[in-house]
Amino acid sequence: MTTAAVPRARPFPRLGGLHLAAILAAVIALAPLLAVVATALGPGADSLTAQTFARYALTSVALAGSVAVGAGVLGALAAWLVVMHRFPGRDLFAWALVLPLAAPAFATAYGYADLFDVAGPVRTGLRAALGFDAPLEMRSLPGAAIVLSLAFYPYVYLTLRAALVNQSVGALEAARSLGRSANGAFWAVTLPMARPAIAAGMALAVMETLADYGASSFLGVQTLTTGVVRAWSVFGSTAEAARLALPLLGAAAVLLLIERLSRANRSADVGPSRWRPLPTQQLKGPGATAAFAFCLALITLGLLLPAGWLAYRGLSVQPDAARLLHGGLNALGLAVVAALFTTALAASIALGARKSRLIARLTSLGYATPGAVMAIGLLAPAGFLWRGLAGAAGGFGVSIALLLLAYAARLMAAALEPVDAGLERVTPSMIGAARMLGQTESGAAWRVELPMATGALVTAALLVFIDVLKELPATVILRPFGFDTLAVMADYYAKDERLADAAWPSLLIVLVSIPAVIWLTRRVGASRPGAALGASQ
Amino acid sequence: MSLQNRLLIVLSLLATLAGCSGEKGGDDTASSGQVVNLYSARHYDSDAQIYDAFTRDTGIRVRRIEAPADQLIARMKAEGAQSPADVLIIADAGSMAIAADAGLLQATPDAGLESRVAANLRDPQDRWYAVSRRARVVAYDAAKVRPEEVATYDQLASPRFRGKLCVRSSDNPYNLSLLSALIERWGADRARAWAKGVVANMARPPQGGDIDQIRAVGAGQCEVAITNSYYYLRIAGSPAAQDKALVGRVLLAWPSLDGRGAHENVSGAGVAAHAPNRANAVRFLNYLLEARAQGIFASATNEFPVVAGTPMPDRVARYAAMPVDPIPVGAYGARQAEAQRLFEEAGWR
Repeated sequence: MTTAAVPRARPFPRLGGLHLAAILAAVIALAPLLAVVATALGPGADSLTAQTFARYALTSVALAGSVAVGAGVLGALAAWLVVMHRFPGRDLFAWALVLPLAAPAFATAYGYADLFDVAGPVRTGLRAALGFDAPLEMRSLPGAAIVLSLAFYPYVYLTLRAALVNQSVGALEAARSLGRSANGAFWAVTLPMARPAIAAGMALAVMETLADYGASSFLGVQTLTTGVVRAWSVFGSTAEAARLALPLLGAAAVLLLIERLSRANRSADVGPSRWRPLPTQQLKGPGATAAFAFCLALITLGLLLPAGWLAYRGLSVQPDAARLLHGGLNALGLAVVAALFTTALAASIALGARKSRLIARLTSLGYATPGAVMAIGLLAPAGFLWRGLAGAAGGFGVSIALLLLAYAARLMAAALEPVDAGLERVTPSMIGAARMLGQTESGAAWRVELPMATGALVTAALLVFIDVLKELPATVILRPFGFDTLAVMADYYAKDERLADAAWPSLLIVLVSIPAVIWLTRRVGASRPGAALGASQ
Repeated sequence: MSLQNRLLIVLSLLATLAGCSGEKGGDDTASSGQVVNLYSARHYDSDAQIYDAFTRDTGIRVRRIEAPADQLIARMKAEGAQSPADVLIIADAGSMAIAADAGLLQATPDAGLESRVAANLRDPQDRWYAVSRRARVVAYDAAKVRPEEVATYDQLASPRFRGKLCVRSSDNPYNLSLLSALIERWGADRARAWAKGVVANMARPPQGGDIDQIRAVGAGQCEVAITNSYYYLRIAGSPAAQDKALVGRVLLAWPSLDGRGAHENVSGAGVAAHAPNRANAVRFLNYLLEARAQGIFASATNEFPVVAGTPMPDRVARYAAMPVDPIPVGAYGARQAEAQRLFEEAGWR
């Protein structure tokens, strides 16, 4: 008990509880990252040449840059169309455009690589028709940029849509009354005010790209993450692998900073006019057709085409239903528990570390850390437990507990962002009122702040849930005996070059994620003050 | 209902759920029966057939964790003396040797094992034994390539195949072990020159797996592809019409390394240094080398048996007795890093 630290002493200061919880959560999230840095400082000569390192780094930059632009343009265009316009199918597209988020990037990569393989149906057909091989190679840098942009554009779509839905009608009307046209008001008011949201979405997409290994390695693109894996698996040097990861951690820190700064000036609020419905523009003729076609194409290319092709391939094999069911239940159980656990930790950080924003930011770094690096970082603290506690290394409970801690460390950003945003709605005067009515700081957090941020907590839990279903590296290296998840099974089959078998667990991940994704997107739609839950925007 | 009450309900539900799954896990460890704990880096689904047969025949339950070799090795290192692993299985002799040299395996001298596994296919200190074999050979377009053009590994680097060769990326263990063997036989300079020749011959940047390379030959993108034998044999054993047509056009060549035979690699198995169930581990190792398990390796994964006289499907039998380089396969481990460096110097991505 840190009684001495509490100024207005009560016999049992509950004030400390919140801070202790925040510290504990921060330790959990930071332990693997600190282990990575410690490992990087360890001995071990570098075996990768500067030239090879430069090649990996440039490829990473090129891929991340193209995905930022690709996902940014696709996601922003979609959000602008759906929120600011009326056209056929808009209400359906509003939530369906998020669906590609349900598909793991590696599954989208499986589908595209196979569909556009030199021996696949598209190029074989084109060869027969044209007489030469069409240069449609998905296993290439441009191919990977396309696949990852299609997989990650929903991040930009979601953040921008939320910003547009919550934008101020007052500012728009002011611009119109000052003589701007509808389009002019968009360029002069809406876009500048939404720019932070686009930047935040692009930062998320870039972080996902930097952390990705499954999709880009399957597509034959060698990034810094390839270097990490090579240093570890071929040269046997975790120290070198960790050193290669430092630039990635640095990049992640910068991206988080961008995301943070962009959120700092987001709250330009013009009073109660927010409650009025947004003015939308009715699209007609070619405009409506183009909007419809664009949204349909995005969903088709982001989900329906790759998943459909995988499903078709899957039909050629008899799936092991019992194993799939087992893997599915394991994945589902883990994802639910991890979602609640991580959200609880994120809430403690958001509430208890209000004055130390830097620590709170740092706990998000795990999100952009490549899986292999995270695995290195996780093994060090896990090793202490395994070696120190007899029976821990083979134990089911300990393994599951370690997995939950690993997911929390890896996915804290996904939970912390929405929780933070949700708590921003609680004004200091509300907390002050609660305190004046006799609540402790924890009491005010529990009775006032958390209930007001319920929606944000649900959003956080859903994001973590979806991410855990796709998670691979931590699961592979820390899981207990005989414990398969859908993602592990898909990876296992893909490694053995059995794409048809890999299709089944991949598609099951999509099926399990879809309800969560729909729930998530309806929450955003309903987030405009005054909108009924479930009402489309 | 207030948020607090809802949270409490959810948490108690979860506690119940966790209790159930914990019980299931507890049952796993606490059951009165015998167990053997496998750490396996083999990624073949059909291995479950062998484990099930072992449990039926011995009553010993098989518990397994599957992960890539480097991760299993790292996990065993982190677990130290507390590691629950009894047996480590890896589909690459080089990685097996690396695990042994890291002190993760214990010597299991056993007359039965030694008599069944040729001396070059096991650790000189008896820390691991090969349990199945595969060769890294060549698939070629029968319409464009004559068999004598792919009779040696040198020929793959010759200008004859400029822009006509398909192969996967260099960090794959099968490519690393191939180049390790070439370094052993030829020395680093000649091995590097060979790698450069192969890079010059590539029809496309390395991508995909071995089956993708074979299909690329079928699609006409390249004339020759480097592949593990069992991937070709898997296609050859497939009932699909498309696959039957493919193996009609694309044939398997058996190149020779300096007249000794094809480059061979193995899946190896060894008893973990701190195996809690050592007796079961030794029994499991022996079982992998008995006729039933050897037969499953041949029929289900199209690998070549280690033990002579194993019954196997015709497509496998056709190649199982082909000549292979009798190099001690454990030597690949010490050469792995050097091989990767040579690949990078040669520009083999």
